[in-house]
Amino acid sequence: MTISFPHVGSFTYVFESIVQEMNRKDVIVPTKPTYKTKQLGSRHASEFVCTPFKIMLGSFIEVVERGAYELIGTVFVDYCRLGYYTPLYKIILEDMGYDFDMIYLDFSKPIEFFKNMKTLTNGLNYLQAFQAFRVGYIKNRHIDLVDRYLYSYGAVEISKGTTRAVAEKAYRLIVETRGMSNIRKLPKIIKKMFEEGVEIDKTANPLKVAIIGELYAVVEPAINLDVMRRLNELGVIAYTPITFTRWIDFGMKAKTRLNPFKKEHFQTAVKKAKPYLEYRLGGKAQESIGDTIWYKELGWDGVVHLYPFTCMPEIISRSILPQISKDYNMPALSLVVDEHTGEAGFQTRLEAFVDLLERKRE
Amino acid sequence: MNQLARISKLYGEAEMKKVGIPRALIYYKFSEMWKTFFKELGAEVVISPETTKKIKADSVVAAPDEDCYSTKLYFGHTMALKNKVDYLFIPRFGGSHKTFVGCPKFIGLAEVLRSLFPDLPEMIMPHYNRAKEGDSKVNFLTKAYKIGLKFTKNPFRIIGAIRKALRVQKDYYRSLIIDEETLHKWERSEILLNDPPFINNYDRQLKIALVGHSYVLNDPYSSMNIRLILQEHGVDLITSEQMPRNLIDKQLSKFDYELYFDYEREILGTIMHFIESKTVDGIIHLMVFSCGPDSIAGEIAARVSKRDPAIPLLQLVFDELTAETGLKTRIEAFIDMLRRSEAEQVIFLSTKVRI
Repeated sequence: MTISFPHVGSFTYVFESIVQEMNRKDVIVPTKPTYKTKQLGSRHASEFVCTPFKIMLGSFIEVVERGAYELIGTVFVDYCRLGYYTPLYKIILEDMGYDFDMIYLDFSKPIEFFKNMKTLTNGLNYLQAFQAFRVGYIKNRHIDLVDRYLYSYGAVEISKGTTRAVAEKAYRLIVETRGMSNIRKLPKIIKKMFEEGVEIDKTANPLKVAIIGELYAVVEPAINLDVMRRLNELGVIAYTPITFTRWIDFGMKAKTRLNPFKKEHFQTAVKKAKPYLEYRLGGKAQESIGDTIWYKELGWDGVVHLYPFTCMPEIISRSILPQISKDYNMPALSLVVDEHTGEAGFQTRLEAFVDLLERKRE
Repeated sequence: MNQLARISKLYGEAEMKKVGIPRALIYYKFSEMWKTFFKELGAEVVISPETTKKIKADSVVAAPDEDCYSTKLYFGHTMALKNKVDYLFIPRFGGSHKTFVGCPKFIGLAEVLRSLFPDLPEMIMPHYNRAKEGDSKVNFLTKAYKIGLKFTKNPFRIIGAIRKALRVQKDYYRSLIIDEETLHKWERSEILLNDPPFINNYDRQLKIALVGHSYVLNDPYSSMNIRLILQEHGVDLITSEQMPRNLIDKQLSKFDYELYFDYEREILGTIMHFIESKTVDGIIHLMVFSCGPDSIAGEIAARVSKRDPAIPLLQLVFDELTAETGLKTRIEAFIDMLRRSEAEQVIFLSTKVRI
């Protein structure tokens, strides 16, 4: 009964640590999606379904072929197709003749969610199961922190590649750290690792660009062709506020209110987006608009808006984005990504955008 | 005379205000209600003309290039109304079901239009979303009342208009959606549900379920007149709009997790019902290119049909580049196939069952 899950950017490390906390040794960790994964997914998915579906399907097929039996997938009611991915994966994988068991985790029903999660654990009680999940969401904050350091230090590093090496080490450290008191110490350790491990160019005055858009397109380097690394190579600091925090972080989650003093990023962003897009319509449509306004106020140089081809909510925000860009004088580059996106064209557009930002600053 | 005009102007009834409603997307679901409501309020309702080649050309220019074909047509219809009306009625509709939602495009449309074309006339864009925002009946009435205040200050007139509009919509649904008994009658070829097929020389009429969004089924231009084509081939139709809702819910509860797109449910439910009951000769599924819910339901439908292939399923994808000739050829081929397999087809028909 081997457990597994699809690859979702650096969130995979969070999954891995939750499974580890659940006392499970039999886990197959998915590998990073490659060209073959994309091809595999596109072959078995319907024609105009969004790209995340195809890549995650490819990832599922890969782990099932490696011997996974219990597959974890999420379901929820939203305007986006994402909530209905898992039932469809089940039908497709069944048709392909694999033997597996799909486990649904429903985010909208917390009680059922933990019940299902408890059955997955190796003989833990409810409290311990929740504790495993808690470790997951606290580690998620640290993973976000590593991402943040990685894409800021990466822009000003002197010898190329050192930051990434340090980050890989930090990811492993986070996954392997056990015990809440040790986990609490992690942020300081990570900070020190980057400060000592990476030699930076202190005279540099890098541009700062925020990456916004659809969740999967932002967090998964395989679909966005590692846009943040590309920006780093052009000497630009990249940061993304779009992470899984909103979905899994019960310590900060606005609805559960375990911590009434914390305000989530998305709440502010949504508030700023109200004059342009008043009601939530799924995905990250409102955040994309709110963030563009917010990062202008914070003094950032530009935003890159990423979304997968045929994404329903992001097409709406993409149609409104030019107006915001004009109203607030904030350069915004909308990039649509899918499994056929060519590297050269992508790189050229990013370079042109960075040139534009530099000229604007002068 | 002058004084009279001034007095009537004082009461806001001097000239009839013109309200424009684009003939696209959910217009095909709620047209009766909207028309009655505005007429009762004393406004003149202007509805954009049926889709033509010009409207399509306008849409392709005006709309964002990644929207689905039907959403693009909405832009064309809005452009057609632009200079003729005082108000544009573009509701932000998120779904009227308790848990199931609509398409996000319906919610964002008004704001996208406002952002892309700032010179459009004033928009009336009420937001109603029962599933996600928890709008109750009271909210609905308040919002409708607020719209009414734009046209008349007489509260009784507004309330009357709301009541009449709701009743008309209810009647429309009642006449559109059939019950199970009527469905069985149709299955036994005792009654016709749509326009009669043209007379033909075949011994038996083919029965086909035509499945798709209401804004594709009822728009002759965007569906390439598929209803007429089928009629000419002597086909008796049933559309997914007409299907009894309890049958659809029964079919969809077979999944581990229910499909939550409200209007997609009737499409998938109809396909699954006929695949299971085997009371039609074939199913034609009209899809719109790059429609999100369609990509999910279409895939499920194809796989369900592959598992139980007795009833042939034809999936046609429409976009602005679809050619009529290619479509006709495919439909002809499909119908020829159905006629040829007629003899072997296992179909429940009262006339053929002998006990």
